[in-house]
Parts: sequence; C-alpha cells; structure tokens
Amino acid sequence: MTGSRRLPLLLLPAGIFVLAVYVWPTLLLLRNAFNEVGPTGAMVEAWSLKTATETFADGFTIELTLNSLQLSLSATAIALALSYPLSLFLFRTDSRFRGLLAVIAILPMLISGVVRVFGWLAILGDRGLVNTLLQSLGLISAPIKLVFNWTGVTIGLAESIMPYMILALLAGFGQLDRTLEEASRSLGASPLRTFWRVTLPLSLPAIVLAAGLGFVLSMSAYITPKLLGGGRVFVLATEIFEQATTNTNWPVAAVLAIYTLGLLLLLLVVSNLLARGLKR
Amino acid sequence: MNGAGPVLSGLAALVYAVILAPIIVVVTLAFSADSFILFPPSGYSLRWFQALAAHAPLLSALWLSVQVACVVTLLSLAVGVPAALALAKGEFRGKDALTGFFLAPLLLPTLITGLALLLFFTPMRLTATLPGLVLGHMTVTVPFVIRMMTTALSNLPHDIEAAAATLGATPFRVVRRVTLPLATPGLIACACLSFLLSFDETVISLFISGPRASTLPVEMVRYVEGRTDPLIAALSVVLIVATLIVVVAVERLVGVARAIGK
Amino acid sequence: MSYLELAGLQKRYGGSVAVDDVSLSVEKGESVALLGPSGCGKTTTLRMLAGLIQPDRGTIRVDDVEITRLAAHKRNMGYVFQSYALFPHLTVSRNVAFGLEERGIGKAEIARQVEEGLALVRLDGLGGRRPRELSGGQQQRVALARALVIHPSVLLLDESLSNLDAKLRDTMRHEIRSIQRSLGITTLFVTHDQVEALTMCDRIAVMNRGRIAQIGTAEDIYERPATRFVAEFVGRANALPATRDTEGKVVLWGAAHPVAAPPQGAFDLFVRPQRMRIVSASEPTGGETVRVTGRVLRSVFVGDHVEVLVEGAGGQLAVEMPSGTTAPTEGAEVAVIWQAKDSLPFACEAA
Repeated sequence: MTGSRRLPLLLLPAGIFVLAVYVWPTLLLLRNAFNEVGPTGAMVEAWSLKTATETFADGFTIELTLNSLQLSLSATAIALALSYPLSLFLFRTDSRFRGLLAVIAILPMLISGVVRVFGWLAILGDRGLVNTLLQSLGLISAPIKLVFNWTGVTIGLAESIMPYMILALLAGFGQLDRTLEEASRSLGASPLRTFWRVTLPLSLPAIVLAAGLGFVLSMSAYITPKLLGGGRVFVLATEIFEQATTNTNWPVAAVLAIYTLGLLLLLLVVSNLLARGLKR
Repeated sequence: MNGAGPVLSGLAALVYAVILAPIIVVVTLAFSADSFILFPPSGYSLRWFQALAAHAPLLSALWLSVQVACVVTLLSLAVGVPAALALAKGEFRGKDALTGFFLAPLLLPTLITGLALLLFFTPMRLTATLPGLVLGHMTVTVPFVIRMMTTALSNLPHDIEAAAATLGATPFRVVRRVTLPLATPGLIACACLSFLLSFDETVISLFISGPRASTLPVEMVRYVEGRTDPLIAALSVVLIVATLIVVVAVERLVGVARAIGK
Repeated sequence: MSYLELAGLQKRYGGSVAVDDVSLSVEKGESVALLGPSGCGKTTTLRMLAGLIQPDRGTIRVDDVEITRLAAHKRNMGYVFQSYALFPHLTVSRNVAFGLEERGIGKAEIARQVEEGLALVRLDGLGGRRPRELSGGQQQRVALARALVIHPSVLLLDESLSNLDAKLRDTMRHEIRSIQRSLGITTLFVTHDQVEALTMCDRIAVMNRGRIAQIGTAEDIYERPATRFVAEFVGRANALPATRDTEGKVVLWGAAHPVAAPPQGAFDLFVRPQRMRIVSASEPTGGETVRVTGRVLRSVFVGDHVEVLVEGAGGQLAVEMPSGTTAPTEGAEVAVIWQAKDSLPFACEAA
C-alpha cells in the first residue's frame, strides 16, 4: 500500500525503548566485567581481565557450575519424563475438554512462582503432605528431609519448567502424522512397538528442543533454588544475585552473568543443532 | 486409533496430579487454623485471611504491584502495538532483522536483564522507584506485546485491509476501521497477559526493588525466607483467583477472535 | 484513447518477473477477461490497477487521467476479492455502506444506496446479518454490492467465482454479466476458468508468464489462437506431430494432406477433438479434408459427449462425438476426418 512507506516510523518508540533500557544496560553489564574490585571492596574503573581471571581461578566457580549443571540435568530429566506422556496425551486425546486440559497443563506458567514454591514447601516440608502421609502409614519414624536441599530444588525446578517443555513438545508433535501410527498398527505392530518404532523416533527432535529449553530455564532459575534450597544450595544464579546485591560486587556478578550466558547459548546451539540433525 | 488410550490417560492423570498438587495444597493451607505450615492442617479457619487484611507491608506491596502492572500494561501497548503494526503490515528492508532485534529480550533470562538494569539504574537513582520498576518490567512486556500482536495482526483475514483501501479508506482509516477492531480481542488478551507478566515478575523486581518500593512478589519472597506460616497461602489464594479470572478471560477472547477470524 | 489504458506494465519480485510489459486498452462499458494459468501475472495486473501493488514500470490511465502512482483509496475502483474480504465485524449493510461512508455521504443517502445495492444483488432484507451467517453465494453478492455502490470507474473481479460450487457459479456468471451490462460498467475479470472468460466477457486477454499472449473476442481466441500456448490453454486440442514433404505440404501419420506447413522447423498440427469426425475406413473423402486412419483404442462416455481414442501410424488422437451417436467398437478400423481449415500448425517449443 502507498501509505505504508512511513510505517517503519511506528517502530521508533519501541526501538528507542529497547536500545535505552535493554541494549545499553546489557552493554553496561559487559563493561562492568572488566572493572576491578579494590582492597576496600569498592569498584575501580578499569579495562582488565583481573576480575575474570580471579573468578575463574576460584574453585567455588567450578563448584557452582557443576551444581547448576547437575541440578538442571536431573530437573530436566524428571520434567521430560512427566511432560512427554502428558503432551502425547494432549496431542492424541479427542476429549471435548482438550482445550481446558491444555490450559491446566500450562497453568503453572501463569501462576506466580513464589506461590508454587510455597506449595512445594507445604508438600515437602518436615510437617508437609509427604512426611505426614509416610509417617501415618508407618513407613518412616522421623520426617525425611525433602526441602532446603537438592531434592527440593530438583523437584521445584522440574515443576517450574514443565509448562514450557509441554508447549515445546506439543509444537513438535504438530509434525507427527497420526496416519503413520495407524499405518504401523495396520502393518501388525503392537501399540508398544508402534510407539518405539514410529512415535518416539519421530518426536525425538521435539524432545531434544524441549529438553534444551528446560535445561536453559533451570540453569537461569533463581527463585526456586533460593527458596527451596533454603540457603544451602548454591548455584550460579544464586551467586550472581548475592554478588550483585548483598556484596555489591558488580564486576564479579557481571563476569559470572556473562559466563552463565555463554553456557546457556552453547547449550541452546548444541540442542538446536542436535534437533536439526535428528530431523534429517 | 482413537483418543489417547487408557495407559496414556492414566499417566496423564498422574502428571496432572503433580502439576496441580502445589496449587491445591496452597489453597487448602490458606484455610488452616494452625500457626505454622502443617499439612493436612489440624483445623480450618479464616484467621490467615484476617491476618492478611491487617498486614500493612504486604498490602502496600500489593497496591504498588497493581499500580506498576497497570502503567506497564498501558505503556507496553502504546509502545508495542505500533511496532507490531509496522512489523506485521510494513514491507521494508531489514524487517526480519528488526523483528529479531525486538524479540531478543525474550531470549535472555530475567536474571541477566535484572542485573543489567541494576547496574544501569543505580547511578540514575531509579532503583526502588515506580518509574524504575515500570521500565524494568517493560523489558519483558514490550517484546511480549510485539510478538503477540505481530502474530495477531498478521493473522487477520486475507485482503481485508486491501478491500477497505479500494473502498476509499486512507491508510489511517484502514487501521482505525478495520485492523484495530478486528484485532481487539487479541489486544485485550494481550493486555491481560502483560498485566499478569508484570504483576508476577519476580527476578527483575528483586534486583531493582528496595525498602522504599518493593512489589508483591518481592515481599512474598522476603516473607517466605523469614517465616513459615500460612499467611502467604491466604495471599496466594487471592492471587490464584485473580489469575484464573484473567486466564479464563483470555481463553474466551482468543476463542472469540478465532470465531471472527474464520 | 480508450477509457482504460494499461501501457507497458511491469512488476518484478526479486529475480522473477511477475508481469512483463502488459498493455491493454478497454473501452467504456466493456468487459474484458484476463485469462491464464495460476502464476501468469493476471492477479498482479489487477492489483496494480487497484493500486494495491506498485508497478515497476509502465502507466495506467483511466478516462485520460494517469493514476499509476495514485494511492489505492483515491482510485475509485470496485474490487471484488477472491476471498470476498468482507469485514467480519460489520453487518452486511455496513459492509456495503463502507465505501459510501468513507466518501462522507449523508446517512439517509447511504441508507438509500445500500438498499438499492442489496436489491441489485437480490439480498433485500439480509442487511442486518453478519457475513459469516451467509452462504458463499450470498457473501459473493455482498462483495459485489459493496464494490458497485461506490459507482466505481472500473469493476475488478479477482477469481470471484472460484470459491462457489459448480451450479451456483453458473447462476452467478449470468447474474454478474447482466448486472455489468445493465449498468454499463467497465469490468476487468481475472479468471483461470475459460468457460467463465468465454461467457462473461466481450473480449479476452490470454496471459502467460507475465505477458499477454493474445487479445480478442471469444471466437478469435478459440478459433484462431495466436500462439501454441493459447491453443493449448483454451479449449482442448490434439497436438499431432507433423512433418512437411518437398512440396511444402503437411505429412501426418504417413500421408500428405492439403494443409500449408510453416516454412521451417519442427511443428505440431493442432486440431480440436470436436471438429473431428469418425467415418468408416472405406468411406472416401473430398479435397479440403484431412483424413487419417487408425484403430479405436477405447471409447469413454463423458456425459455430454463420447470421447474416442484412436491410434494410428503417427500416435494417438482423441475425437469427441456427440453423445447419443453410436460410438465405434474397440479395435474397429476407422478413418478420422476434419476440414483442412481446422488444422492449425504451431512450431514445437525449443526443448
């Protein structure tokens, strides 16, 4: 249309906003990574790699990385094991409540993370649902520790990333042709064999993408490890927050943030390449 | 093969139990008569709702959150919808690159954005202020609005705007009489979700909140860190109910939009 | 100068040319079809006329005023879209009123004209409905009324009947044609359906690969196709590979025939199946008649005619016989004859 030549002008407010409040602060973050922290703890403007080298020489950084990776890996595995059957169910069901069921499945995404974490505290706490149940059944005598440790954080993380993974899986299933499964059945394969030989291989790219997404989300999660870890679980996210706020050590926070971002990008690239390779 | 089959349905029911468990537990706990987190509660009462009604810090945080979310929603639509219009309707060079540029903030975790904003706002004394919180939340909602509305505007019935133009409507009149009315359900749904995104935003708020101004999720995190009583459960019920209203509204609106779009 | 003049219109998309040097003159009140296969550039041409696409080159003039760069909303062209593009949020009346409202006409006058427009397309009384409550044919009529009430300088119809079922299409064809004639409105009609083009228009412009291959009346196009493409695209034709003898006469299926051959190059003889007749192999024929012999492969009853496939020395050909006549039995030795003037030689396309 003739009038559309001036249309790009409409991008201006949003462009200015993103540049000023997103791009510029992100550049500031990069800049801060090259600053140093003086002996008094005050920040010294500099262009050096001192903060970075010190941070990486610190064994604690390695430990944080391993913790983050390990927690994310187990949370993703659990979330995938739960999301996959649910997504497959949503994909296949011809229930007239399908729409409602799909909304419920991704509902946690819309409900405040703090609320859900609080729910897990009530389920997994010393006097929570699980311990009360097990004690009344006589299976345990003293409450088992399920929160303020790795178990609680893993469970909380798994639950928080599930809606995202379900959406990713459903999007991937879109390419799954039901007639292929029917063809397999008509050729004499049992439902289990059909799943194993047709459904699973065809949904593998979706699984990889969903897992990649879940992993990245768990790596950058802060609230869940903070609240369900009860100060006893240390990951990159919690450390970045501590350094930035409690310690006001911005250079270290910046270095850790960029490092984490690098890890995340690497993971995303790998999972995307893997998914693309599987699609062929 | 019809439907999901009994095995898969059974598995799905189990997963639904896991998904809904925290929400159900929280709702039950809100009506607890106990002074600490005990599940199942030993008795039921409304005492924690009464306590909530008298808890000034949480209430003022709630009020601030509502204010922030309202301003964020209005500003995000004002900034994002024109951009979405340009991206959906315009034909100019570098459009794909620009789309990528506007959606990039959705890719970075809020942990990184929050830290960047802390570094940016501190020297400008914008931390723990209403403008600071609004700008911070907008880094999430503006790209979200652009993404949602670009899709909504691109999915309008084919040729419908061209038809208005051939009938004599100027480009501005086409937007006013055809594009926007048709996009209204999507626009309202988008506003609802932006409000929710801002209202629930926790990590960015944690970075840039302070004693002078902190939003509800921040106050809730601080409360849960310090104490373990069912007060937060009572507050959660209020939030869940409000969220459900918004979700149902969005679901119905998008449904309506689909009906019109056909 | 004609009423509507397209001169040297061109539109490129990246490396490909959608419309290449299209020129066309349309008289006031005339109805012209742009006929061609999908992707031939006919819709692009129509959209350039309406101002929905900017041409890279060329000019458009209406009533001696150049409108090539005029914005779509200033052109006063009635465009009926393939998808109808009715406004789903407005009632039928408001849809029809839209163009009038944009022209700032008074309320009472709009109401009167809308009523007139709806009556014209026989939708009286349905003004309060929403488009989605109407059938496909009714939606089509609303779109037509909406385009007509603005008294457009040119009416543009883009594949407007393709979404209707066969029966309804036939009715609409005649209805649109009679409305167009009674209003005397200049009309451009894009279609890939030759029956539509042949029945609804005074003249037809056959388009291929962005160019106009031939412009003429229905009879011109059908009887005297200018190019091989037109002969193939409009109506059915047997393309019979032929050669020439030393005297320059056409040799087909091993025998010389009284048909002039083009001076050089390989060529095919195009013959319409319904111009061919099947006679017994022994029957002799006169001078200006082409006659080939062969064996009946099979006969297929297609409703309004019987299609007979005959195989001979030079390949196969199809003959259409009116249904009701007795088709020859399979395997029968027959002769196929047609008048020499019904054979059109076209050079083979360079491979």
